[in-house]
Amino acid sequence: MRISWLPTVAGLAVVGTVIRVVSFTPLEAKQGAAQKIYYIHVPAAWVAFLAFGLVAIASGVFLWVRDQRLDRFAESSAEVGVMFTTVVLITGPLWAKPIWGTYWTWWDVRLVSTLFLWFIYVSYIVLRGAVESPELRARYSAVLGILGALLIPFIHLSVYLFATMHPTPIIGKPDRPSLPNEMLLTFFVSFVSFTLLYVAFVRSRYRYAVERDTIMEAAKQHA
Amino acid sequence: MPETSSYYHVAYTVALGIYAAYAVSLYVRRKRLRVR
Repeated sequence: MRISWLPTVAGLAVVGTVIRVVSFTPLEAKQGAAQKIYYIHVPAAWVAFLAFGLVAIASGVFLWVRDQRLDRFAESSAEVGVMFTTVVLITGPLWAKPIWGTYWTWWDVRLVSTLFLWFIYVSYIVLRGAVESPELRARYSAVLGILGALLIPFIHLSVYLFATMHPTPIIGKPDRPSLPNEMLLTFFVSFVSFTLLYVAFVRSRYRYAVERDTIMEAAKQHA
Repeated sequence: MPETSSYYHVAYTVALGIYAAYAVSLYVRRKRLRVR
């Protein structure tokens, strides 16, 4: 059996990250163990934004040059992005419950707009399944892929624009990160591991799309 | 410090479970295509 190096490295990186989180990262004084959800929640949100941002870029270029490879990439990245957003939407409430006292609040703009983002890209996947013509499917989904990504800057800025329970970023802000070095290192290890996992998933999903399209094309020619 | 470890355990179990399930689904879908 041939072992593919990228999924293996990504898998080992994720296992290494979990070991570091569990055994080598200190507990936060106020939140206790629940704060460790940070190392899985925030990288998943970053990867979801990256995935949908790349869907929008690939879709925009596809509408211009009409290259099927871009459509396949957008399709793959959208599916992986939905999976990571699902993780965000599950781990967020599990962190919120012990800290805020509730799993979810419907008036919180950050939470609800992230749920909308999930719905948009689930719709993207449903749309792809519903349109039979490959040309129309690629065009319609490219438009939805671009429009959906417009929510990303809004979601990012929502914690500054509205009164939300969701905290503002403690990393990626103008001044220094508000995390001790040990926690910061764990965050970066996690950030790199889950980005690598995204690349491995998209590559595998893209290869599936290529094989599927090749089979469909061959079946068409035989018919 | 509050006792919040059960939420942390559930969050990691569910998240890693979703990643593993997606990896398996990709493997199965590609395997099925090749059987065709």
